[in-house]
Amino acid sequence: MRAIYAFGLLILIAFLGARFITKRKVLSPINYFFSAGFIYIFLGLSLGRSGFNILSPSVLTGLTPLISLGLGWVGFLFGFQLEAKYLRRFPRKYKNLSFLQFLFVFLLGGLIFSLALKQFFPSERTFLLYGIGLAFGLLLSVNSPTLLSMASSAIPKRGNYHYLARFLVSVSGFWGIFGLAIFSSFWHFPIFESKIFLRGSLLLMFSSGFPILIGYLFHVLTKKKTSEEQMLVYLLGLVFFVSGASFYFNLLPLYMSMVLGITFSNLTRIHEKLYPLLLSTEKPLYITFLILVGALWEVYFDYRLALLVGLMILLRFMAYILPMPLFKVILDFPLNLPSRFGLSFLSSGGIGLAFAVSLKLAFPLPLTDLFLSVALFGILITELVSPWGVRMSIFKLDKEEKK
Amino acid sequence: MIPLLLIFVLMLILKSSILLPFANPDQSTSIALGFILVFAYLFGSHLKRLSLPLITGFILAGILCGPYVLKFITPSDVQDLDLLDGLALSLIALTAGGEMNIQRLKGRFKSISAIVFFQTVIVLLGFVLLGFFGRSFISFLEEGTLLQVFAFSLLLGTLSTPTSPATTIAIITETKASGKYTDLVLGSAVVKDFFVIVIFAFSLSISKSVAMPSHGFDLSFLLQILEEVGGSILIGLFIGGGIILYLKYIKRDVTIFILSVAFFSYQISHNYGYHPLLICLIAGFLAENFSAQGKRLISAIEKSSIPIYVVFFALSGASLNLGALRQTWLLALICVVWRGVLKFSGTFFGARITQEEAGVQKWAWAGFISQAGVALGMAIVVEHNFPEWGDEFMALVLAVIAINQIIGPIFLQRLLFKVKEAGKKP
Repeated sequence: MRAIYAFGLLILIAFLGARFITKRKVLSPINYFFSAGFIYIFLGLSLGRSGFNILSPSVLTGLTPLISLGLGWVGFLFGFQLEAKYLRRFPRKYKNLSFLQFLFVFLLGGLIFSLALKQFFPSERTFLLYGIGLAFGLLLSVNSPTLLSMASSAIPKRGNYHYLARFLVSVSGFWGIFGLAIFSSFWHFPIFESKIFLRGSLLLMFSSGFPILIGYLFHVLTKKKTSEEQMLVYLLGLVFFVSGASFYFNLLPLYMSMVLGITFSNLTRIHEKLYPLLLSTEKPLYITFLILVGALWEVYFDYRLALLVGLMILLRFMAYILPMPLFKVILDFPLNLPSRFGLSFLSSGGIGLAFAVSLKLAFPLPLTDLFLSVALFGILITELVSPWGVRMSIFKLDKEEKK
Repeated sequence: MIPLLLIFVLMLILKSSILLPFANPDQSTSIALGFILVFAYLFGSHLKRLSLPLITGFILAGILCGPYVLKFITPSDVQDLDLLDGLALSLIALTAGGEMNIQRLKGRFKSISAIVFFQTVIVLLGFVLLGFFGRSFISFLEEGTLLQVFAFSLLLGTLSTPTSPATTIAIITETKASGKYTDLVLGSAVVKDFFVIVIFAFSLSISKSVAMPSHGFDLSFLLQILEEVGGSILIGLFIGGGIILYLKYIKRDVTIFILSVAFFSYQISHNYGYHPLLICLIAGFLAENFSAQGKRLISAIEKSSIPIYVVFFALSGASLNLGALRQTWLLALICVVWRGVLKFSGTFFGARITQEEAGVQKWAWAGFISQAGVALGMAIVVEHNFPEWGDEFMALVLAVIAINQIIGPIFLQRLLFKVKEAGKKP
């Protein structure tokens, strides 16, 4: 009976989505919430342990490969857009800005979260608390390109701010995920263990080398004439293989799949052929992933959680808004960088969710459960306001620049 | 060949004992699945050059990498992947149901009924005879009473009757076959699956009453059949209706919807003892025949059918019990050959009575060799109900299924090429 209710719920969501989306503007919060699929997190939540318990822990174990595929897919798609040929088109100062922005957000977020966690959980081991604090810093540094891609069609006069923001959101994820890979390779071992540097470096080398090899294999397989169905099998299989290897060795699926995506994207010449396939496969996989993320989510409320969520939202605003004028001075940036330009970076979307789930699955600890809960609440709330942020920043700045 | 070897060597290294101390063996499901997807597909593609069906390659790759040979896929991986396997089966059943077009099958209903009837009767009688005359060769039946031999043979005959609809539809999709033989084979395989469930319940009850007289003939199984089959049909109709309405009024996120249909069918059947195959067959049948959008639905599933088939058949290869095959290979081989002879006779008489052309009488039997799914489920029930010889029975059935599942697809593929129906689908 519960299965039938859940099935009905799924149809209801699809029905509401079909009715709402066609009638609303692209950048209305509800429309964005539906079309970016975040509503499916709530479906997953209602199907999971906190709801009907259809996606019970044992069922979720059976569905682990789909979670692994979802994470791998997000990472692969993210890496696939990082094609050197495309990135070379942007001036060096854009790249410097992206790194500086990452560093600032990461350090500020990491520091404040580490202190806050130490305050809230005094009995926990410092090693773990600082680790989670740094992970929050990295999570804050990640931005999603989805909102800006969707908003592109709605921006009346696309100008430099639009292109700069798109570049920054595309690249910031790389820094954040790479940072998380470095951090998690070493965080595997408590501080008092010996040969941490060697062992951590080996893990990092494996995390990077293995997907590079698989990316090359993917390139070899698709170099000859490949049908769409062959390509689908290779794509699914190799993404599974890489994210499965990361699960098997307790590494980060998001990072390893991103490296796979980067490698393949820079080797292959079949981007044109692959994009339609990626587009047609992306949505079902992504929605399945969101449903499973919702089901993994064990919702609970306490004052510490609420405070950490509040802190995350506050830092999301502050860490992007405050330093913009400073960056302009430090880098002698050719474009004026007003504070409100920082409002373009409120959304961390699917990549942020994948980031949080990736960490929880690689390190199944009570603190990573907390991390996931804070991240989910924080991301869902900031996603609701992020369309407003885009309107307030890029829309207006590009308009003013054109004038 | 190089990519195949490369991925093989990589997996060998990843699973080697040197890396084992760094690994988390409880999390090996995804890596096993990713590996088998690519490896089985490449393996199947190489075998295709030898004119063998892709799915035979998938099954062989599953056997090679499974728990009995290289152990890349462990028994716990197979168990953990049961849910995905169930999802794949539901999707395959939806496609099979969708292939059952009433307009096309209308003229063939008489032949399908006759073939199903004669095959069922002849296979059942044939295995009862085999049991009586061959019991001195079957170690665990040597000391059994005649009634026990009868019970054993009747159940073995029942389990030998079905043909795997999943394998049938996979080969039809792969060869892009269309025409009279294709319809006859698929139609009969699907219809037989319904009847076999009913016949099995009768056979089980008869066997229990003769082999264990204290049991008596229990008619309560009729109620159970009514619940299982009737319930599956009702749920299938409900889901099929849902698919039609969804495709007509919502149209959005069709892939997610279909995946959910497969998931919920599996969940409902798993939790309440219904048949996922029947549910999805009915749902697919309804969508195809009573909705203008049915074709779109089926072609959407068929588009991504290859990964589904790779997962399903490679896993079925990995689950084949080679231990049982090693134990009873000679007897299993005799049963396989005898089943083939009986299938030929049943098809021949069925086709002759309905005045089908000589080709159908002579060759259509080759389409009915594959055997899996339903037979396996029934063998487990038999094992539970007859503790004295249930184990040996199970081992024999598993061995027979292992052989039939390897040769069945090859026979069907050859048939479709021979009668020139392969490649005829627009």
